[in-house]
Amino acid sequence: MINKVISLLEINKKISGYKIYETNTESVELFFIKKSLDMDRAKVVSHLMLTVYVDFEEENAHFRGSSSSEIHPTMTEEAILRTIERLSFSASFVKNEVYPLPSKEGNNPKIVISNLNEKPLSEWIPEITEAIYKEDIYDKGGINSAELFLNKNTTRIVNSKGIDVSYSNYDGTVEFITTWKEKEEEIELYRNVDFSSFNPEQLHMEIANMISQCKDKALAKPTPILDKIPILLTGAPVKEFFLYYYDQASAISAYEKESTLKVGDNVQGENIIGDKLSITLDPQLNNSTFSVPYDDDGFPLSKIELYKDGILKRNFGSVRYCHYLNIEPTGEICNIIISGGSKLKSELKQTPYLELIAFSDFQMNPVTGYFAGEIRLGYYYDGNSIISVTGGSISGNIKDVHSNMYLSKELQQDNDFVGPETILLNGASIAGCTE
Amino acid sequence: MKAKMSLFLEDSKPILRKLLKTLQLDFNYVSILASDTFGTSYRVTINGVDVKDSMWNERGFVVRVHNGINYSEFSFNELNKENIDDIISKITTTLNLQKDIIRNNLVVNEYPLIHEEPIKRSFIGEVKIHPDEINVKEKLKKMSVMLEKAKKVSNELVDFKISYTENEISKLYISGEKELEQAYIFSEGYLFPTVRRGDKTKDNFKGHSGLKAVELLDEMEASIVTVIKDAIELLDSEPIIPGEYEIICSPEITGLIVHEAFGHGVEMDMFVKDRAKAVNYIGKYVASPLITMHDGGIAAKDVSSYMFDDEGTLATDTVIIKAGILETGMSDLLSAMKLGTVPTGNGKRSSFERKAYTRMTNTFFTPGENTLEEMISSLKYGFLLEGMESGMEDPKNWGIQCMLKVGREIKDGHFTGKVVSPVILTGYVPDLLSSISMISKDFELFGCGACGKGYKEYVKVSDGGPYIKAKARLG
Repeated sequence: MINKVISLLEINKKISGYKIYETNTESVELFFIKKSLDMDRAKVVSHLMLTVYVDFEEENAHFRGSSSSEIHPTMTEEAILRTIERLSFSASFVKNEVYPLPSKEGNNPKIVISNLNEKPLSEWIPEITEAIYKEDIYDKGGINSAELFLNKNTTRIVNSKGIDVSYSNYDGTVEFITTWKEKEEEIELYRNVDFSSFNPEQLHMEIANMISQCKDKALAKPTPILDKIPILLTGAPVKEFFLYYYDQASAISAYEKESTLKVGDNVQGENIIGDKLSITLDPQLNNSTFSVPYDDDGFPLSKIELYKDGILKRNFGSVRYCHYLNIEPTGEICNIIISGGSKLKSELKQTPYLELIAFSDFQMNPVTGYFAGEIRLGYYYDGNSIISVTGGSISGNIKDVHSNMYLSKELQQDNDFVGPETILLNGASIAGCTE
Repeated sequence: MKAKMSLFLEDSKPILRKLLKTLQLDFNYVSILASDTFGTSYRVTINGVDVKDSMWNERGFVVRVHNGINYSEFSFNELNKENIDDIISKITTTLNLQKDIIRNNLVVNEYPLIHEEPIKRSFIGEVKIHPDEINVKEKLKKMSVMLEKAKKVSNELVDFKISYTENEISKLYISGEKELEQAYIFSEGYLFPTVRRGDKTKDNFKGHSGLKAVELLDEMEASIVTVIKDAIELLDSEPIIPGEYEIICSPEITGLIVHEAFGHGVEMDMFVKDRAKAVNYIGKYVASPLITMHDGGIAAKDVSSYMFDDEGTLATDTVIIKAGILETGMSDLLSAMKLGTVPTGNGKRSSFERKAYTRMTNTFFTPGENTLEEMISSLKYGFLLEGMESGMEDPKNWGIQCMLKVGREIKDGHFTGKVVSPVILTGYVPDLLSSISMISKDFELFGCGACGKGYKEYVKVSDGGPYIKAKARLG
């Protein structure tokens, strides 16, 4: 298909360049209710996204316009030609600053190998199912329902500057709902685990943790009204919290002025009392579904240092946006690694605290720094005992808390994120439920 | 102007009929959904322009078969006269291999055969200005004029994004007894200002949507000044003091509550999984007697209005809550079979590549008798809540989380001018819905954004209703 599209592109003389991003995906999908399979699905699809670039001048200014559209495998040659014509016409009105396309030069990046390549996808069904249900052994609770998605992908990226790279990878997702019932009503929690290699212990641990958290939620009391209590974020919300720093360092945020952070600035402010942030981006992180050797433009990716002790070392981004900022391109890298902090989790729990581990949907606004979420499970330590709590919400702004923030030494991995298991925040607001 | 049925789907009918007949030799039930959605997304900002496919674009097929015990599906997007035998072989080989592995290793739920009544029907929607009537140059020019208008509103504006997407949906469903086809158009547009004063940055957005096309750009233009001024107002906003308050929800927030607080909880695939508290409340009060709630593909004309769903079930208008009492839920085909109920036409797929789940369509509270002015006058102390950001469901335990942009303080029946932002509304669904004490005569639906099942399976829905007065916990 790619060769056919390229030959048709050559007919159109208005086009200054092109990019083709092709993926072929095979998948197996299973849908369970309790421990029984309710439906199975399979998928074999091919997608080819064509981007056309047109250079033009208007009132003595130079522009590089682009427009993209999918070329479906069921398209006739005539339909592909019409799409190319439509794209080149559209691109000639897209007035963007001129930027280069990535060219053939560059290193050969590392490719992460998955153990899922050892046999056909459907043959993984028994093993993965067994891993999902191994910890589902209790009378009072367990897995209510689960969904498994297992994909084998091959990607090829070709452009008019000589890039022609390809790679294969795997991604899997297990989404599960766990429940628990004590004397009161049954309660549930939601979790999804993404992986690029099959590691049964990872699934055992995640599912055991969720069942345990469900049990704690079933016994939880309403979150009390608490003023100025140190807050610990643990587990999944920590990943969302750190998205702010990722976004603030991206070239597109800087170019669009959503971020005012400059290289050399300390993102945590001037007077840092707590731990200082050190962040790297690693495009070949093990067991991340976002690990790729090249970004979507075919640019080869390698590890970079983003922040050191809170100071922004460099912006990162695509060839286009790095060109706009007049910096060396890094390509778009998704995997983020936060260094551990100065204290063990046990040291963060010496004084009264509210530890929050599950939310309905904890959200960080990466532009404004506001964060909030409804509490589904937390632990309140009043100095004497620890009780599980639920309900109410947290809200705050990262700019008000990150100069006095502590990170645990212990690290966690959640797909494309490696970072502290727990962070301690002072200054966030809690809306409790009880008087 | 009428929407146009996809020529590709029209041309594919003979091949699809052959595929159906051949698969029927191996399977007792076979259906095929063919989708061809084409749309273009235009984005104009202070810093650049973008023209690309709509995120809703798709062209492909999903085959559903009864495998002897329950249902299996196969999604694919390569099919033509030359490769049809290969595709048939791929489908049967893949599904039979999976079936063998599954039966040898797993416990499987049983489903009966789907019984269908013969029907052949077609639906073609209409819009005021078809996407083909205005070319890309004119659309971008109109958006550029809007951008220039925005830049003049305030020097505190640091970025302004205008996004407009038009979508032409065509679907064809065939099975042993059914042949259904539909084509309609919906569009959505967004205005996103970012404003800054010193080191304080605020963003805002205003969405527009509907069974419309290019005419949406005029609606968007009329909102430019307001959306920027509202963003600037947020620069002076204060954090809210957490607590229980009397609130008035704008129709947009009412829609978010309808959707998150109750809509997800009555999706009947949740009943099948024993994940819905609502199953124990059928026939009981779950809300104030003032509340009546509908959902359905033909309950309203908005972005989720269609003739048939992605399982070939005709759309309905379902009364979910009547005068505060829970009447029924909404359901997809397989859930209804499992529960022994009638499917309501709510089986929707994120795309041909995904499973069908029970999903909302157009979901709303019906209007009441009060005016907004009466509602404001009645408030001793509280907030008018505006600007939806997001929400999250909790069908099992009826918790609610709504992230909102702004609360306008009301004291002794008058606005004080104080604005709080952002606001998170949380609580227990029956408490919130039972506390509704006034409902306005207004009615508006909102079809912006996308609805997920958990954190995936995004589909188009609309929701809304009137202004409602209630009590809620804000933080």
